[in-house]
Amino acid sequence: MKPKIAAQSGTFESSDVIFLIEPLPDNSGRKLEISSTVMQQFGASFNRIVLEMLDSYEMTDIHLIAKDKGALEPTIKARLETAIKRSLEQQEGTLK
Amino acid sequence: MTFEDTDFRQETLDLENPFDVKLVKDFLFSLGFDFDPSDVECTMIVYNLKGDIVGTGSHMERILKYVVVSPKFRDTTAFALIVTYMTEKLLKIYKHTFVFTRPENSLPFTGLGFTEIAKAEPLYVLLEFGFESIITYQDYLRTLIIPAKTGEVAALVVNCNPFTNGHKFLIEKASSENEVVYLFVVEEDLSAFPFSVRWELIRKGISHLNNVVMVRGGMYIVSGSIFPAYFLKNEQVSDVMQKQAELDVRIFANYVVPILDIKRRYVGTEFSCKTTEAYNLAMKTILPQTGVEVIEVMRKAIGLDSDNGPDYISASKVREAIKTGKLDDVIDFLPDSTRDFLYSDDSLDIRKKIKEGKGRH
Repeated sequence: MKPKIAAQSGTFESSDVIFLIEPLPDNSGRKLEISSTVMQQFGASFNRIVLEMLDSYEMTDIHLIAKDKGALEPTIKARLETAIKRSLEQQEGTLK
Repeated sequence: MTFEDTDFRQETLDLENPFDVKLVKDFLFSLGFDFDPSDVECTMIVYNLKGDIVGTGSHMERILKYVVVSPKFRDTTAFALIVTYMTEKLLKIYKHTFVFTRPENSLPFTGLGFTEIAKAEPLYVLLEFGFESIITYQDYLRTLIIPAKTGEVAALVVNCNPFTNGHKFLIEKASSENEVVYLFVVEEDLSAFPFSVRWELIRKGISHLNNVVMVRGGMYIVSGSIFPAYFLKNEQVSDVMQKQAELDVRIFANYVVPILDIKRRYVGTEFSCKTTEAYNLAMKTILPQTGVEVIEVMRKAIGLDSDNGPDYISASKVREAIKTGKLDDVIDFLPDSTRDFLYSDDSLDIRKKIKEGKGRH
């Protein structure tokens, strides 16, 4: 699937992660920009989690930016799932 | 030990409401900032459950402003909360957001994922965050590269508000002395003539020069007017202006020059405009360090002015003539493209706007 709109989820706080997603032109694949305060220690597992999630939603033509502040795996998954669903217009902000 | 009170409440203020404005104004004043509501388009405020003001944040277009947290709450998540709130809102509209602040405040923003672009010690640092970054602009520049065999590559930055024979003369001179010329047109629409019009007039006016490449100024070739200065109220105006120019020139030197391999930068001499004068000084200090020669070209004059001095061509004189309805007096200043435009009905709205005195110089 391809994102329909630009979307964001998460916050900049410690132990959290912020995801930005925007659509790319057709057939441009995935463009990932991942930065983390714990890249050295957990970078590999962070990348794996993101890729697995994108694969499971079959996301393509997507520009994803992640700014991680040491989030745990369930947090990363929940934030990314929300960002993906928002970008697919399947879910709106929680306050709506 | 104090326990962290994170039960915060956030609210968007109504800037039309004098009580709301007073609330944020008093809060900021107590921390040493002069809040000017005309400086921002939206302001949010954070309280705790007791009703104490924790912090506030505002924005004007894509620039975050007045992000301030009360000293009592600086060890809480309030700052992250305010910044997240603002970026979430702005990134729905814009591709990226900017922050100008003092260098000592740079760390909290980089900690939140902002990237520092340039610094002019000790007053300014510029940071950005979003889908796009200065790398996106560099990618755009790469698509325009024309390889030069001789290494004689020059750049000019123009606003052309509107395009005059003075600009044309400067561009033609650069074109004849170099193999490739990159002409940056300031994209910000703060001038009387909108970007699309300025771009078209220049394009038509220089179509005979085939080694000149027109480049959109983007968000990074800026004019001093977008710089907020409220956190610098104890500084001299001239210092602030000089640092703004320095920041801008550093961006040019660090991010634009290496991509396009620019060796010379042409500028016209400046007599009247303090901002441009500050720019020229900053360029002469910074650019030679990166191997770029600054060539200052004497302004072109036509005939004599009322004091019998040379009548230098200037876009501000043209705007003045439009304002006073004496366009015929400056007709010699105008290249064909601008003349045709100004005497046509297409420019009716712009001329009206200038006559009414709106739009900055």
